[in-house]
Amino acid sequence: MRAAFLIARKDLRQRLRDRSALVYGIIAPLGLAILFSFIFGPLDDAAFEAEYVIVDEDGGQISEAFGEALGGLEDDGIAVIRTVESVEVAREQVETGSDAFAGDDVASADAAFVIPEGFSEAVLAGEAAEMTIIGAAGSELSAQVAYSVAQGFSSELAAVDVAVRTVLPDAMAAIAQEGGTASGVSPGAEGAPGAVTPEMLAALLAQEAASTVNPITVEDVSASTKQLDSTTYLSAGMAVFFLFFTVAFGVSGLLEERRLGTMQRLLAAPVSRSSIIVGKALTSFALGILSMTVLVVASTLLIGAEWGNPLGVALLVVAAVVAAMGILAVVAAVAKNQEQASNFQAIIALVLAFLGGTFFAIAQVGGFMATLGLFTPHAWFLRGLGDLQGGELADILPSVGALLAFGLVTGGIAWFFLQRSVGRTR
Amino acid sequence: MKKVFVIGWNSLTRLVRERSNVFFVFILPMLLVLVLGAAFGGTNDPRVGIVSVDAGELGDDLVGRIEAAQGVDVRAWDSREDVILAVERGQLEVGLIIPEGFDETLRAGEEVTIEFVAQPEQDARALRNTIESAVTEQGALLRAAAFAEEQVDAGFSDALDSATQLAEESERVTIEQDSVGEPFVFDQMGQFELGAYSQLLLFVFLTSLTGSTALIQSRQLGVSRRMVSTPTRIGQILAGEGLGRFLVAMVQGIFIMAGTAIAFGVDWGDWPGAIAILVVFAFGAAGVAMLMGATFSNDQQAGGVGVLVGIGLAALGGAMLPLSIMKIFSPTLWQVAHVSPHAWGIEAFEELILYDGTILDIWLELAVLGTFAIIVFALATWRLRIAITR
Amino acid sequence: MGDAGDGLVMECRDLHKAFGDIVAVDGVGFTISDGETYGLLGPNGAGKTTSISMICGLLEADAGEVFVDGERMTTRSVEPKRAVGYVPQDIAIYPDLTARENLTFFGRLYGMGGDGLKSRVSEVLELIGLAERADDKADDFSGGMKRRLNIGIGLLHKPHLLVLDEPTVGVDPQSRNAILESVERLSIEGMGVLYTTHYMEEAERLCDRVGIIDSGKIVAEGTRRELVDLIGSQDRVRVVASGDLKSAAEAVDGLPSVVEVGEREGGLDLIVGGAASNLTEILQKTTGAGAVVTSVDVDEPDLESVFLHLTGRARRD
Repeated sequence: MRAAFLIARKDLRQRLRDRSALVYGIIAPLGLAILFSFIFGPLDDAAFEAEYVIVDEDGGQISEAFGEALGGLEDDGIAVIRTVESVEVAREQVETGSDAFAGDDVASADAAFVIPEGFSEAVLAGEAAEMTIIGAAGSELSAQVAYSVAQGFSSELAAVDVAVRTVLPDAMAAIAQEGGTASGVSPGAEGAPGAVTPEMLAALLAQEAASTVNPITVEDVSASTKQLDSTTYLSAGMAVFFLFFTVAFGVSGLLEERRLGTMQRLLAAPVSRSSIIVGKALTSFALGILSMTVLVVASTLLIGAEWGNPLGVALLVVAAVVAAMGILAVVAAVAKNQEQASNFQAIIALVLAFLGGTFFAIAQVGGFMATLGLFTPHAWFLRGLGDLQGGELADILPSVGALLAFGLVTGGIAWFFLQRSVGRTR
Repeated sequence: MKKVFVIGWNSLTRLVRERSNVFFVFILPMLLVLVLGAAFGGTNDPRVGIVSVDAGELGDDLVGRIEAAQGVDVRAWDSREDVILAVERGQLEVGLIIPEGFDETLRAGEEVTIEFVAQPEQDARALRNTIESAVTEQGALLRAAAFAEEQVDAGFSDALDSATQLAEESERVTIEQDSVGEPFVFDQMGQFELGAYSQLLLFVFLTSLTGSTALIQSRQLGVSRRMVSTPTRIGQILAGEGLGRFLVAMVQGIFIMAGTAIAFGVDWGDWPGAIAILVVFAFGAAGVAMLMGATFSNDQQAGGVGVLVGIGLAALGGAMLPLSIMKIFSPTLWQVAHVSPHAWGIEAFEELILYDGTILDIWLELAVLGTFAIIVFALATWRLRIAITR
Repeated sequence: MGDAGDGLVMECRDLHKAFGDIVAVDGVGFTISDGETYGLLGPNGAGKTTSISMICGLLEADAGEVFVDGERMTTRSVEPKRAVGYVPQDIAIYPDLTARENLTFFGRLYGMGGDGLKSRVSEVLELIGLAERADDKADDFSGGMKRRLNIGIGLLHKPHLLVLDEPTVGVDPQSRNAILESVERLSIEGMGVLYTTHYMEEAERLCDRVGIIDSGKIVAEGTRRELVDLIGSQDRVRVVASGDLKSAAEAVDGLPSVVEVGEREGGLDLIVGGAASNLTEILQKTTGAGAVVTSVDVDEPDLESVFLHLTGRARRD
């Protein structure tokens, strides 16, 4: 073991002296993370808030009720509502709202509700009425929400009417048969002037129906956010992407020793062959941990990345380093020379990183690509960090387990091949 | 002049002979366009995952009503836990759980609660209104059926059927929909276009920069010595190396353009315009590669810096986050982005692809890219002369 | 077998090693005593480096055994390796570490440490003449300095047996001389030395005993005297000539006094019984066959003549 430490110490001294490891381990990932935080950071702060205008040409009871319903949106912080005087103004503002580049200083809206004159009257009289939604083509979600709100209001209005009309024929029939009584309806003594007309009955039924309630309620389930903000996500993505280059400096050291001829000396020295391999693994591990630690701390301090529970982050980092070591060690074990190894390592690092979503959050897209991503340590590392955000420490155990499994399986394969190839001197 | 071509051609053949280069230059970009297109191309409607297991006819009816709403992408999920986790992980914008026995419970006249899941502080919370609207719509019928049962002892299911029919016939308050303005530009684009032109620029540039290591190696291999003995050949060698980088960039660029057009049906718009963008952009990329080759003396370090600069400029220039979105969220950054040649290239491609422009409409972008190329080439030549003769 | 009492620092027996179909070492065996310098002499590809690799525990033998200080040496051995200092043929140092760091690292691998290591490192730096440049990166050294550092690493832990694999290949004459001198000094200090070379003159100068290896076998072994005696009163004649050397070689081969003929570039190497009385005859035959002789050297028998005698061919550089 002493020999392994000696070799690792020597390697680390070499790697720290040669600035390449510094470039790959710290400068490049941190530089990109900082740049990405400038580019993607503003997206995180953008909260959804729709702007709606209402044109109330009616000014009646129902349009007032609708205005109250819209007030609910304001209370929920989903929209701000303004009243404008004419359809033309509303249309103009929505048109402006559709242009994402219009800027903040121009009056704009995502959708307009137009309630025509006579709307309340028609609704109250049980006649057909029409409301118009003018949606901005460029703000699909806001327009959709506006439509939903109006639709819901309309359904609510229709509910009583539908209920009355469903009951009315039977109720009338019942009155005819049973002498003009129906449950809840007492039109007065038989033979009273003006027998029960459908209109009278409907009005009575409507009062009753209005007190019915929707048997379905929608309840919010509290959900935490197991997702990283853009800055943290891309910092973590860059860290794990470049980890695969940094760690390579360690395990590929075997090939470098071979190239330099110093492998012969290590083999001739009174140290076991395993301790040479372990020494290289230690170098990889130390470089990986060192680079990740610096990146976690620096991205937290410099760009406000929020990695989460330090113990959880530490577990994931260690597991990710182990996974990277295993995969890269396989390449180092089977490669003919250092150049071939570094080419293959770069290919593997890039493909795994892209599939694992270090540049683009593929996991959130779901589907086949996301499933494919689970064959990469990168995806598990990012998933683990995400789960850490809104969950317990225990929630990251599957990710830690998956990363360790990558490391152990590939590490085992590498160990098998390295036992054979470590003795090669050229 | 012939020697210049020999040196340039040499760069190209060296590139193709090395198998791992074939991967980086040709396979990886195509793979990325595919991955990005498959993952991000197509609809961007918010995803609503609905768990409706054994929810019966009324469950299906409710799902149908939600599906009918515009602008939501409804997907069926199997379990409550999974759908909540998917929402928490951002794989769904909204989750909705319709409980088991939804149908029976409602028909028995009892109340039912359905659960709505969205991340706090997310746009998707607004979609609660869409769900509520569908629930209210269905609820109106259920209320009518329950009312009929209570008032006239009608069977719930029969009453529900007649209520459903009546609701369809009566259109008390109709909602007219009108849409004004232009839809957001990216919603009009094909599945692979965005990935194709942004990755084209990213890779052409990145390959050039990492190719600068070849220049450093050939410098180390004694170009300088040759220089001293035959000083007249400095210019030729420089031109040759520059041409080599340019040829590599062009071959890669044309491969990506033709490849994505054939394999993924990417529409590059006006071909003369597209080729013109590629030519000036590749010229600039070759210049930056020469500049790096002249400035660095350690090829491994240059490789690392090349990756940093290549990805960095691409990201800044809108190859990762579309410029239009950048412009909305951070207009200052959008202005800064224009120091990157990628931004000009991307805007030129967008002019061709999104707005059906022709080469005449992108003269400004071409001029900027051309100027950039001339400046970096001049700088590179100057630096390289110093580096070699020192 | 081979306990420390018999004064042997190394014994190997019947070593075999094949790489695929190519037999590299085919039954090599010899011993080295304390303080003895043993030369393994042979042309390139004769099996020198393969033999050494097995002796140092770098390579597993297909058959045969190696004992160092009486302990069996295998690739897995740890203890016997402490007794060996190995100097690879190619420079094997870390270019990005300083001379001192290179020495210190390998010293630690051999279990040294503390002040003992520190002073030994300084001692070796002095010995190899790098004391002034001790803290410069090895990358900045000249070829000769790198060579010396290469050897210094092998000496550092005061091995009982120092194994030098062709340490003078590609070295300028001045450095070469310095290397030879230091090896001489080491054997005086009582270190056993195994020295491989294909330069006869180095073997003659340094080695107490020499084993001549060819095609994976030791074809002769002994002190210089013993080997030369194998040839008896025969002399070595070097004819520098041009023209039809092939016919000339055939022509002189027919002479009864000529024991061996070797053709090389620019002349012929001959082993001749009684050169003084037969020289005229040889020259006549040579010129008669169409060669133009420019000079003739007659040497007392040396290793080169022994080698020529045993292998039937002139040494190839």
